[in-house]
Formats: sequence, C-alpha cells, structure tokens
Amino acid sequence: MLELGEVIVNCADVSVFYGDTRAINNISIDIEKQSITAFIGPSGCGKSTFLRTINRMNDTIDSCRIEGRVKVDGEDIYAPSVDVVPLRAKVGMVFQKPNPFPKSIYENVAYGPKIHGLSNNKNHLDEIVEKALTRAGLWAEVKDRLHDSGTGLSGGQQQRLCIARTIAVEPQIILMDEPCSALDPIATSKIEALMSELSAEYTIIIVTHSMQQAARVSKRTAFFHLGDLIEYDSTDTIFTNPKEQKTEDYITGRFG
Amino acid sequence: MPSTKTEQMVMASLKARHRKEQSFKLLGIAAIIMALFFLVTLMTSILSKGLPGFFQYYVTLEVELERERLDPAGDLSDQSLFDGQAKKIIQEAVLAKTGAKKRNEKKAARKLVSNGSDLRLISFVQANPELLNSRQSVKFALDDDADSYFRGFVKKQTPEKQRRLSDLQIAYLDQMQADGLVSYEISDYLFFGSASRNAEMAGIKGAAIGSLLTLVVCFVIAFPIGVATAVYLEEFAPKNKITELIEININNLAAVPSVVFGILGLAIFINIFGMPRSIPLVGGMVLALMTLPTIIISSRAAIKAVPPSIRDGALGVGASKVQATMHHVVPLAIPGMLTGTIIGMAQALGETAPLLMIGMVAFIVDIPGGVTDPGTVLPVQIFMWADFAERMFIQKTSSAIIILLLFLIVMNGGAIWLRKKLERRW
Ligand SMILES: Nc1ncnc2c1ncn2[C@@H]1O[C@H](COP(=O)(O)OP(=O)(O)O)[C@@H](O)[C@H]1O
Ligand SMILES: [Mg+2]
Repeated sequence: MLELGEVIVNCADVSVFYGDTRAINNISIDIEKQSITAFIGPSGCGKSTFLRTINRMNDTIDSCRIEGRVKVDGEDIYAPSVDVVPLRAKVGMVFQKPNPFPKSIYENVAYGPKIHGLSNNKNHLDEIVEKALTRAGLWAEVKDRLHDSGTGLSGGQQQRLCIARTIAVEPQIILMDEPCSALDPIATSKIEALMSELSAEYTIIIVTHSMQQAARVSKRTAFFHLGDLIEYDSTDTIFTNPKEQKTEDYITGRFG
Repeated sequence: MPSTKTEQMVMASLKARHRKEQSFKLLGIAAIIMALFFLVTLMTSILSKGLPGFFQYYVTLEVELERERLDPAGDLSDQSLFDGQAKKIIQEAVLAKTGAKKRNEKKAARKLVSNGSDLRLISFVQANPELLNSRQSVKFALDDDADSYFRGFVKKQTPEKQRRLSDLQIAYLDQMQADGLVSYEISDYLFFGSASRNAEMAGIKGAAIGSLLTLVVCFVIAFPIGVATAVYLEEFAPKNKITELIEININNLAAVPSVVFGILGLAIFINIFGMPRSIPLVGGMVLALMTLPTIIISSRAAIKAVPPSIRDGALGVGASKVQATMHHVVPLAIPGMLTGTIIGMAQALGETAPLLMIGMVAFIVDIPGGVTDPGTVLPVQIFMWADFAERMFIQKTSSAIIILLLFLIVMNGGAIWLRKKLERRW
C-alpha cells in the first residue's frame, strides 16, 4: 500500500460524464501535498478530464456532469456553497498549449493578482510580478521588455509565462495538462527543472503522455486506462515493479 | 517515364484533369469580366449624369442695394429683410440688363432668374451690411429652364411652342452670355440647399443631416443592444430549446425585407407610442431594428473567433465568467463587432422603404436641428427627386447618388481602418 504524507486532494468515487458517456469510472485517489504527482495513460483515457475536476474547469463544458466527492484541503469543492473563483485561485492551471493573453508580459502576470485584489499599489504589484517571473525562471529573459506582448515570446517562454501567471496568485496546487507537449526538448527540460523547484512550495499534478517525463519529475504516478485508475503508486514502483499487467504492458510500450 | 502502375494511371487521367481545371478557370474569369462590365456601366452612367449636377449656371447682375427698400425697419432683422423688396430689386436688375419694356417682355425676362434669388440677396446683405446704399454685382442662380438651355437640352431649332423657353427668352440669355455675365460653377445650392420644388435651388443638406441624425440614433440603440445580446447568447445563455429558438429567429430576421421593419415601426412607435411621424428618432429606431440581426450575427462570429484557450487562461487564474468575458473576450472581439456594425449601418444608410413607412418622405424645407425635428434622409431624397420631371432634377439625383456612394465608401473605409487598427493577433 502506498504511504502518503499530508494529503491535500482527496477524491472518492469520482465519475465524470459527457452527456451519457462516462469518461471517468469511480476513481478514488489521494494526492500528497508539496510533491509532484503524474497522471499517465494512453490518450483519451480521461487524464485531462480527471485533472479538470480538481479545479472545476469542467464546469465550462455544458454536457459535463460529475458524481462523487472531491475534497481540496478538506473542503468539498462541489458543495453548493463553493464559489469557483477562490477555488481556482487556490488550484491554478497550466494548459497544454501555451495560452498567454494577447497583452504585455507584465499584464499577463499581473492579471490574477489584480482581479483578486492581492495588491493595492503599483509598487507592490511590480514586486509580485517580478517574484512570479523570477520563480518561473523567466525574469532574466524578459525584465527589459516587460511591456512587450506576451505572445511574442518563444513557445517555452510562453509556457513559463503561463506558469508565472499561475503562481502570481499564490495557489497551493498547480495542475499541468501536458505542459511540454508543444515544446522542444530544451524548453521541456527547463520546465521540468522548474517543476522540481516549485514542488518545494506547491503541490503539482501533471498529466503527461511521456513516461520518461513522469519518471524524471514525479514522486507518485497514477496510471489511467479507459476511464479507470488502474494503478497508483510511487513512481519507482510503477516503472520498475508494477502490480498490474496493464500497467506493465503500457510502460513497456506494448500499447499506447 | 512512368514506371509504376499508379503512375501510369495518374498520367492517363492527367489530361482530363487539366482540361477541367482550365474550363473552371475560364468560367471564373468570365464571371468576373461580366461583373466588372456591369460595374463600369453603372459607374459611367452615374458619373456622366451626376458630375454635371455638381455644377450649375449663375448670372451676375448689378443690383442697387437701396437701404429703404431692402430693409424697411432698418434693423437688418430677418423680418425686416423679408418685408423688404429684395425680389423687386432683382427683377429690376434683370429688366435693366435685358432692356425688357413691354409687359410680355418683362414677364419673359423675370422668369430667367431663379425664384429663390431674393433669399440669396437677403443673406448677401446680412453678410455685408456696409455695402448697403451702393451698386453691387451679385451672382444669382439661373432658373432651371435657362440652365437647361446652356447645357444644350433646349434647342433653338425646336419649334417655339414645343420648348419651355420662348424665342425672346433665348435671345435674352444669348445676350447675357455675350456680355460675359453667365458663369458655370460648382453648385452651392446642391450642398447647402434644402428640399425645394425649384430644381436649381434644391440641395441635399437637409437630407444629409437627416441621414446623419438617423444613423446616430441607429448606432446608439443598435450597437449596445446587439453586442450585449451577442455576448449573452455566446457566453452566458444555456444551450436549450429557448435559446435555440431565439437564435433561429435572429438569423431569420436578418433576411426579412426592410419594409416590414417600417410597418413594425409605424405600428409600434407611431400608432401605439404616439411618437411623431417623419422624425429621425423614429427613423433611427426602425433602422436599429433592421440592423440588430446583422450586428448580433457578426458580433457572435467575432466572439466565436476568440480562441477558447484565452477564456481558459482567464478562468484558470480565477477570473469569474463575467471578468473573463469583459477583460479578454470582448476586447478581442471588438474589431469584428465594429466591422459588422459599420456594415450594418452602411446598409441602413441606403435604406428607403422602411423610412417611407414612417413618413420620412414628407417635403421638408427646414434643416432638422435635432432628432425630433421632422426630416428626411439621402436615399429618400434621391427617391423623391427621381420622381420630378425637371431636367435638372435628373442631374441632381445622380449627384446625390454619388454623394451617397461617397458616404458608403467612407464608412466602409472606416470599417477597414478600424479593423486594421484594433486587430490584435494571438
Ligand atoms: N468536451 C468533451 N465533450 C465530450 N467528450 C469529451 C470532451 N472532452 C473529452 N471527451 C471524451 O472524454 C474522454 C477522455 O478525454 P480526455 O480527458 O481528454 O483524455 P486524455 O486527456 O487522457 O487524452 C475521451 O473519450 C474524449 O473523447
Ligand atoms: Mg488530454
């Protein structure tokens, strides 16, 4: 049985439906605080769908319906009284395709703090922006052109800008949905290094189709298949000594 | 040489394919040539008729600006000048110039100068009061029949009974021209005149201002409502039977003949709400109804074109739905929305039928000073002029069409400029 430290996300019997089709089947999983957990599995198995239940991004899809219970920090996030705004400030998200706003680099990072009222004066906001960009490893590259468009950066820089945008609001959890799939190997390794650094402060859940990436960065790995959680264990165990036949088939490349 | 079987088969079918491509290309070129031909014909016809309409013939007369006769009350007020004998003084100047003595001669001579010349003399006096009690050369418009004579539409060879000018009048005109008094100049009446039954005095100013006021009302009503509707339907409305029905209706409304909106306006704004007829306010409201579907449809397309990843990005950092929409989606969609709006407005600018229904076809001499003053609009003015028999109205109609086209070109140019200026790439 998997030994976890302090648990921050607790899912029990979660099922997700798109209309009448079930995309996630009764998944129960606990996520450890301040570590990196990877979701792997063949494409279409429901990794993104499950990830998006943790910050309720699935709410934006009309046909999507969720059963079961998801707790973040002990609070049921699907309770009727919960507002998604503070939830998403607490559970940030980085998307597959870098999606900076078509605004300046500064405004990209400042947007979250601004709408949440995290800063009431310009100097403080400047500090927040600088700190977020520094932690995202982007400050040195962009400090002289903060007011240039964020969309003018390279793909890897854009993705780090999106990470800076996310951490500027000081979330506890960062969800990353295949953050490197649109990037070249050098940009990818930068983001991976960044994730390891960030995991000291943040809980990171990363969806990846690259098993090497999961093996490199994550402490725990969950293997999904056709909407089921097949196996969840420490990354070492999953890659060296999986208990399930399906997991072994997948990581040895027999399907996927 | 083709080696594989596939290659051979491809080569065999290649000729037929090329032939098809060729004929398709020719068909397209033929269609474009046809379209260009019609366009050129239209433009030549309008320009050849309309450009002369921008000019008209004037005659310079020496008038005696006697103060007692022009300004009996002596205060240069409108009332005093209207009570004065401006008309008489001009007629005397004409008679003096032509040397008409007998009654029928005088009658013939008087008809040569435009009926509205007294107004021109009055404004001349108001602008130059220091010239009172002196003899001045002042330019007056010729009557439209005289104008037609100089343009060559009235011919001497035609028997006197069959033309609108008598031999005597023609003789007078020839004499004036020989004396160098007749000039062909840009028509100030066309630009600064208002509706008039006298062709030489008729102008588009009133109608142009009416069009402007109507469009302002139309924009102020249609743009916010249209954009708000589009934003609601795209971003907030649940997708159900009711919104589906609304969508279908909006799409169908875009294809409803414009006259129907006029009838609607007549029934609701005028008959039920009791608003006055013929005013730009009601005209603008009717045109707003007509333009709304266009604005809504194009605004929705503009919103749809904003990549969903931008919304996700905003929602992902905890923006509420309204914030994501207002901070990110709408600003990115604005150029598209404005383009659609301007195109809708350009359509509204050219609309006649719905405005006829609400009485904007009335003969209104005064220039509207606000949206609640009776007025008309350019296309309706064109429609009315086209109905008049006088030769000069034909030219003025074409001139007004050119001006309307210029308005449209300016508006479309504005739309393109706005789009280029506001467009941002993502
Ligand atoms: N918006 C949607 N509407 C309907 N079905 C969807 C939607 N998004 C994903 N699905 C379906 O849900 C399943 C899981 O998809 P997803 O979570 O994107 O998989 P993964 O991220 O593992 O590739 C797939 O079968 C997919 O077709
Ligand atoms: Mg996915």
